[in-house]
Amino acid sequence: MTNVNILEANHVSKSYAAHKALDDVSITIPKQSIFGLLGPNGAGKTTLIRIINQIIMADQGEILINGEKLKPEHIRIIGYLPEERGLYKKMKVGEQLMYLAQLKGLSKSEAKKRIKHWLDKLGLYEWAGKKVEDLSKGMAQKIQFIATVMHEPDLLILDEPFSGFDPVNANLIKDEIFELREKGSTVIFSTHRMESVEQLCDDIAMINKSQKILDGTKKDIKNSYKSHKYQVDYKGALGPLSSQFSVLDTTTVEDDYSQAVIQTQKGQNPNELLSELITKTEVHGFMEIIPSINDIFITIVEEGKS
Amino acid sequence: MKQIFLVLKREYLTRVKKKSFLVATLLIPLIFPALIFGIIYLGTRESGDIKELHVLDESGYFTDKFTDDSYSYEFVEGTLDEAIAGVQEAGVYGLLHIPELNLADTSTTRYDNIGFYSETNPGPQVQGRFEGAIRKVLEDVKLQQSGLNAQVIESLKARVSLNTFNFSDSGEAKESDSGLSFGVGYVFGFLIYMFIFIYGSQIMQSVLDEKTSRIVEVIVSSVRPFQLMMGKVLGVGSVGFTQLLIWITLMVTLTTVGFNVLGPSGEMMASGMSPEAMELSGTEAQVVEVQNMLGTIPVAKIVISFLFYFIGAYLLYGALYAAVGSAVDSLQDAQQFMLPIMLPIIVSIIALMFVIQDPHSNMAVWLSMIPFTSPIVMMGRLPFGVPTWQLIVSMILLIGGFIGTIWIAGRIYRIGILMYGVKVNWKTLKVWFTMKV
Repeated sequence: MTNVNILEANHVSKSYAAHKALDDVSITIPKQSIFGLLGPNGAGKTTLIRIINQIIMADQGEILINGEKLKPEHIRIIGYLPEERGLYKKMKVGEQLMYLAQLKGLSKSEAKKRIKHWLDKLGLYEWAGKKVEDLSKGMAQKIQFIATVMHEPDLLILDEPFSGFDPVNANLIKDEIFELREKGSTVIFSTHRMESVEQLCDDIAMINKSQKILDGTKKDIKNSYKSHKYQVDYKGALGPLSSQFSVLDTTTVEDDYSQAVIQTQKGQNPNELLSELITKTEVHGFMEIIPSINDIFITIVEEGKS
Repeated sequence: MKQIFLVLKREYLTRVKKKSFLVATLLIPLIFPALIFGIIYLGTRESGDIKELHVLDESGYFTDKFTDDSYSYEFVEGTLDEAIAGVQEAGVYGLLHIPELNLADTSTTRYDNIGFYSETNPGPQVQGRFEGAIRKVLEDVKLQQSGLNAQVIESLKARVSLNTFNFSDSGEAKESDSGLSFGVGYVFGFLIYMFIFIYGSQIMQSVLDEKTSRIVEVIVSSVRPFQLMMGKVLGVGSVGFTQLLIWITLMVTLTTVGFNVLGPSGEMMASGMSPEAMELSGTEAQVVEVQNMLGTIPVAKIVISFLFYFIGAYLLYGALYAAVGSAVDSLQDAQQFMLPIMLPIIVSIIALMFVIQDPHSNMAVWLSMIPFTSPIVMMGRLPFGVPTWQLIVSMILLIGGFIGTIWIAGRIYRIGILMYGVKVNWKTLKVWFTMKV
């Protein structure tokens, strides 16, 4: 049986002295997906990632990679870009990449080829003999990325990848990540800035206060948290609507243009609302309000509190 | 193992390829002996120039009796007050005042009204020197007064020089030289002391650099923290070892050349020099003597033990330095943890001075057993001959010691390297030590 999931975490728990960092967390990551591990700072994301990277060990539970229990050889198929990242400042770019590649188990000749390939690709080849301290910050970030991906990992784990990357590099790296995914890699994004990965992810797990509070495909989650609200832009006045619709809020945009948020009933076709609106006002815009991942997170946390 | 080797290789090459390594390696063997000889030279020659002294001798026994050529003596007359005023006026070093002495009275042997007047305190060495010189003059006078003639007095004296022999387990006695043992013990002990300090702090710096440059988490996603720590400790240690080997090679080459220039050696005999040409001059005789004496101290045993204690001490302390480096965010924060590490090293080097004077005292034996002090102290004892069982026990304890510190350091290190901005004290270290990973 071929495994459809590159990674499964089953009931993983981890405590540091008195503090519980992870509490019975289970996640499943399908192959070739882009997976968002989301949650505020201190929720336990980095702890889970460190367990996957075998930097620390879980107190309870197990991690399966391609269906196999985690073992030392697995670090070769994982590429990890930690949140706290850096390079040896006094070391030359080429030597540094060679060292990191060899630590990941690449042979010297293979590493040499790939370093050349990647440096060429990101336009850094002439910098190979320079020390890292002579590089600009953006260049150093690219080198870090190369170090993470040059052993062609099946599983790429990026912890807060876009913090510290400038926008140009962030875009470049997004493109590279999509390319790697096309070639068969699976990507885990871990971040507290949920809006930054919203459009990238196929699957999502949310962690709050060391517990998983939600997971699934992004599409399903968004659908199940839809609030059946619509945003309407109109000109002039909005006449009273029938009782199945309620106007939650109206704001004047400019002159006689206004915007309203209208609640419909679950299961209602938006055309019903639209056809009624046409009779009541001059419609300029009509759009379903889809909650952002961030909104969903806040909703769940609020629900959990009450 | 391969991972440890990769880390080791990087640590080693980045250091050895630096210019500062080459410079230090070549200069230290030149600077250190120069410094030591310089200090000894200044110490024995004192300030070098001859100091002027006034002597107010009311007893009359001392005229022309002082032969010390570090001072020039001018005998003055008058009262003590006048003499002191004269010293200040003339700007000379000091005044030696010897009052009227009644040497005919045999009931007393104590003369404590002799005075030395100077602007600054002369120090115990100068004081002892004058006491000795005055005593000798007075003793000679008293001996003569007792009616013995000079010949009898001379024949009554005894000069003793103790020859020291060590017997091995087989009972064969060999002549030994305490002075040489003293020197060898001190030099080897001091070498270990120096290496722990230099290379220990290099490990700490290296761990700290990885932490502050934030590369450590990238590395530990490929290498176990323990492998990283060991690779680092061994890599930096190999640099020290390389340096040591270069020094030994340099030293052997220089001494061989030195012996060839100064005096006879096997090669010169073989090169067909006539026996007449071999007649020994003063320096040649000394060289031969040193060569003979070298045969009396257990050279092979010392060299092998030195390598063992060198490596053992380095691993024991190196691991601790690594743990400290991992626990803190900056060099300043490291200070509080440095003292307990440095204390046993400093105790060892201080103890070494006493140990080489009395190598078989209880203190020496105990300190050469405790792993934290044994490397330095045992090196001080070895040239004097140490019972084999003591050496074996000490070595086993040292092995246990460094396994212990590496284990402790590893547990602190694996947590410490991933902790940023944590206020670390001894309690935190204990928590990390007991923490599961």
